[in-house]
Amino acid sequence: MKIKQKYLWITILLIGNVIIGVSQNNNPLGWNQFRGPDRNGASIESLSDVNWLEMQPELIWKKELGSGFSELTISEGIIYTMGSTKTDSLSGFEFVAAYDEKTGNKLWNTKVDSIYIDHDGWGDGPRSTTVIDETQIYSLSAWGKLSANLKEDGRLLWQVDFIKDFGSNIPRWGYASSPVIVDDLLIMEVGGSDSRAFVAFDKKNGEIKWSNGDGNASHDSPLSVVLDGQEQTIFANGRTLYSYSTKGDTIWTYSMPFGGLTAIPLLIGENKIFLSGVRNPGFIIVEIKDGKPTEILHGNSMKNDFSSCVYHNGYIYGYHVAALRCISAETGEVSWTKRGFGKGSLMLVDDKLVILSDKGRLAIADATPKAYTELTSIQAINGKSWTAPSFLNGKVYIRNLTEMACYKIK
Amino acid sequence: MELNKKQYLLVVIMLFIITLGNAQTVDDIIAKHLKAHGDLDKWDKVESMKITGRFTAFSVEDDFYAIKTKDGKYYSELQLGKHGVIEAFDGKTGWTIDPWQDFSFPRELNKNERNVFIQKAEFFTPFYKYKENGCTAELLGKQVVDGVEVYAIKLERPNGFVETWYLDADTYLEYKRESRWVDFAYGVPAETYFDDFRNIDGIIIPFFSEKTFWQRNRIIQIENIELNGEFDQNIFVMPRSNQIEKLNFLIGDWGVRINMWSRRANRWYKADSTNSKIEYIATNLIQENISFIDHFVQSNITNFSFNASSGNYFSTVYSGFSSEFQVFNGNFTDSTFVLQNINMSCDSSDASIQIKATYSEISKDSFVIDVSQSNDNGINWMPGPQLVYGRIHK
Repeated sequence: MKIKQKYLWITILLIGNVIIGVSQNNNPLGWNQFRGPDRNGASIESLSDVNWLEMQPELIWKKELGSGFSELTISEGIIYTMGSTKTDSLSGFEFVAAYDEKTGNKLWNTKVDSIYIDHDGWGDGPRSTTVIDETQIYSLSAWGKLSANLKEDGRLLWQVDFIKDFGSNIPRWGYASSPVIVDDLLIMEVGGSDSRAFVAFDKKNGEIKWSNGDGNASHDSPLSVVLDGQEQTIFANGRTLYSYSTKGDTIWTYSMPFGGLTAIPLLIGENKIFLSGVRNPGFIIVEIKDGKPTEILHGNSMKNDFSSCVYHNGYIYGYHVAALRCISAETGEVSWTKRGFGKGSLMLVDDKLVILSDKGRLAIADATPKAYTELTSIQAINGKSWTAPSFLNGKVYIRNLTEMACYKIK
Repeated sequence: MELNKKQYLLVVIMLFIITLGNAQTVDDIIAKHLKAHGDLDKWDKVESMKITGRFTAFSVEDDFYAIKTKDGKYYSELQLGKHGVIEAFDGKTGWTIDPWQDFSFPRELNKNERNVFIQKAEFFTPFYKYKENGCTAELLGKQVVDGVEVYAIKLERPNGFVETWYLDADTYLEYKRESRWVDFAYGVPAETYFDDFRNIDGIIIPFFSEKTFWQRNRIIQIENIELNGEFDQNIFVMPRSNQIEKLNFLIGDWGVRINMWSRRANRWYKADSTNSKIEYIATNLIQENISFIDHFVQSNITNFSFNASSGNYFSTVYSGFSSEFQVFNGNFTDSTFVLQNINMSCDSSDASIQIKATYSEISKDSFVIDVSQSNDNGINWMPGPQLVYGRIHK
């Protein structure tokens, strides 16, 4: 009887947690991966009760963090991310670490690879963002080591090496693609030889479940979406857009007019994919109908460099090189342009844009095509800030190459 | 009341005349643009601007220093990511030291770059005395850019490059410029935005400019401008390499005594005396012209340069006696400078004759060259002519 009661309480607690989680976000695991729960830079948390006339983001904590570009993933009160530590000018290590979301205090830290030292001076350390499931955290080092660690204590469970195990060549600025989870699979752009450009690993043990495609590893991350009622993982690799089923079968491919994309493909509505890069034409929108991709719009009014866009009510918001811009997803027409954020980043929370400039200014503005209307802004973090912010439970989490910070919005 | 045909036509003509009367010509707009930039008499008194501020590239901000002169000269020092960059332009030609291009030494600007430096050196606005300066301007009309009403003016410079300037329709100050720029010395289109106009002693200058070209983004935020300040005029001249400057002891007009070694008497004897002129004939190239008699007439043209990749000095000697080139390389060893000929035979086993020139006893007004020769791969050296240089003071 006692055992039954215990299970009843656990069940109630679990359901309660799920309900609360869902009400706060559309994924019970929180901001659990690159660009958030749906990999679209958006949170559905409501900001409707915020008094923007009085609101100023409130610093909760700021902590040192080793160099890296990985976004902060947050789940169940814990922040997971990657960073690096230099032991001397030529060496060091990259790590996966967990921090208490309330205080920013470190819970554990596990080395996963040698440090990637960027000789161009853009910044050392990992580029990829971790992904979290119920028990594990998955990460990719800038030297191409894919690791699975236990969330509880950071213990390494398995690791594969893209260069040694797959014959992959390191991309120009290190491995940067962020892993995506589909069911029990961890799907990655590996850039391996022998039709192993794209690989699905068994989350439990790192075994290869399927591989497909030819192409080098790029700096872009895959998007997992349901199109035409079918779950598919989309890769923008070289000048080709690939779509694979969860079993690794090619659903469709599309020859893009440009290559070398870094911004993640963005789902527009139910069946359109927005892709943007700095090369002409700048952006294309591809519609997927009956398993066939067709370009329905292209233009040069949005040219994403390394920062990804968000979509809201028929409009795309993002960085046209170094100018924040709103364009129509129907026509590509520019609604407004706002300079001053450099090559910053942004996300969408409710109907607000949460913007981080490339020098660490945090601003919140209405996501509306009418005009750029800033509601609040604060110099949140100093120095080069190329990592997009994360959002969970009314708080914004940001990082740069030296520190991370948490600001309360509501 | 209805208008008849004649009345209707009259109204249309009047409206047309009114519109014509209100329409601004390109020179009307330019006149307002110049006025918006402050007192022209004051502008005419400005000879130079020493600019300090902050420069942003790759999202990192650092110090910026520049000098502009009224006659189109420009010099700047800035930090571009991990590298410091120096660039200079004398109004016609220029040079840059840009380690991003894997050159640690100054190199000349190409045509695309010279056009960029004309824009960088822009002292005031290209529309001031634009006709006198050989530019043409054409009004493209009133437009809206980023929600701002602007007059678009096409400007063609004397070098043939075309720019479009967008002047704010309210303030007549520049809002945006579309022009050609460079990325790694290759021509690319660029957009430049101007803002933060400030009054400095009655003249109006944009303290902020943001430029986007290709995927690059550069921001200059000026913090201070000093008008007509002192500066070193030599900064516009392409600097010589430190290595070539080590050979500065050679430069000058020389009286040269030619000594030959007497094996019989076991001593030097004077064979001839002559004059020599050694000078820079390019930024990093020194040349000597000398003619003397050791038995035959030796008329040599010798060039000296430094090769950064090998870390050695190279010298080419054209002999008027044999009408042939010899190539030497070498370096400083302690207080002497030693050059040795390179085997120019296609057959590497043909080591034949080795010639060595040793520059020693180097002082401000004199030095000595000992030429020696080896026929056995450098085991034994026989003395050749000795040239003793003494500076001729004019």
